Amino acid sequence: MSTEQAAATIVDGLKQAGISLVATLPDINLSQLLQVVESDADVLHVPLCREEEGIGICAGAYLVGKKCAAIMQNGGFFNSNNAIVSTLLQYQIPLLLLIYYAGDIGDRTFSTSGSMTEPVLEALGIRYYIMRDTADAPEMIKRAQILAEDSKRPVALLLTKEALGRRAALRSL
Amino acid sequence: MKRFDCLKLIAAEAKDALVVSSAGAMTLEWNTLRPGDGNFRVRTLGLCSSIALGMALGLPHRRVIALDGDGSLLMNLCSLPTIARMQPGNLLHIVFDNEVYEASGSKKTATGCGTDLVEMARAAGIRNAAWANTLEDFTRAVSSALTQDEVCFLGVKVGTERSDVAPYPMDEVENKYRFIRYVETTEKIEILKTNLPASYV
Repeated sequence: MSTEQAAATIVDGLKQAGISLVATLPDINLSQLLQVVESDADVLHVPLCREEEGIGICAGAYLVGKKCAAIMQNGGFFNSNNAIVSTLLQYQIPLLLLIYYAGDIGDRTFSTSGSMTEPVLEALGIRYYIMRDTADAPEMIKRAQILAEDSKRPVALLLTKEALGRRAALRSL
Repeated sequence: MKRFDCLKLIAAEAKDALVVSSAGAMTLEWNTLRPGDGNFRVRTLGLCSSIALGMALGLPHRRVIALDGDGSLLMNLCSLPTIARMQPGNLLHIVFDNEVYEASGSKKTATGCGTDLVEMARAAGIRNAAWANTLEDFTRAVSSALTQDEVCFLGVKVGTERSDVAPYPMDEVENKYRFIRYVETTEKIEILKTNLPASYV
């Protein structure tokens, strides 16, 4: 699947899950995905300057009835931790987090971020699932949104290079 | 100027606007002046303007007022370019600038050393940004912002005195539920659904 097809599949999944506001900050691996978010008339795209403000924007929109998602690199997830703790968790506000898994196996440059991503998610009690096959994206997003709404907590999907159509999937991963 | 006097003037103009207030004594003062479920108290320093922006984008026909502080906005300055980029015409962002971290021991903030938040808002791209230097200016600016369709940033220098008011009457989770129920009632929409079927599936 090409990066464009992968991006379209993920955004279709967001829309099927009822999500109508998406806050984003770019990573090169998220380029096509953010392009599709930007050009889709059914989604209000909020480009951020820093990921933590996106947590606030999504929380505010949730309080008035919007289902939201925040798309960022794992570095942005680290940037967002105070808002996740003292707004999302403290007030019991659900939010779907789509996090690019920089430093995943075979992914160069951010191996330290990669090694800290799952431990930090676990420490915060945020349930997370790693997406390796784009074909699963719509169903994973739908299920993650149900879990977020039911638990009234953020839920994270870790987007890998293969889920974004940027390298071949392996059967062992 | 006194923050409490300014808040009184806002309460007289706010009608059914949704009001987001930053952590600190201001929230308690506001809740005393306009008690009700259309108030949301923020606990994350800095996030007041972002939460208000999210509300304004989510309900574009409803007025949203952010009651922010200098310490809070300084922590989340990137909110200004994002607000400028999104241009929510229903958002009024008011900053009470007392030049100290009042809730955290009253140490001086950067605005006490020359930083001008209104200039920063303008430079970020919010054209309708101004200081109110008198209570009359302030009333006029609030009233005009709440009737026009353009995002407005209003700064006001205030003293550090606090009014003696009651503590906030509820915790964060109750605040959330009451706020959402208030939006549901006043907007005639359903936000919180109980998704559980009659039997577990």
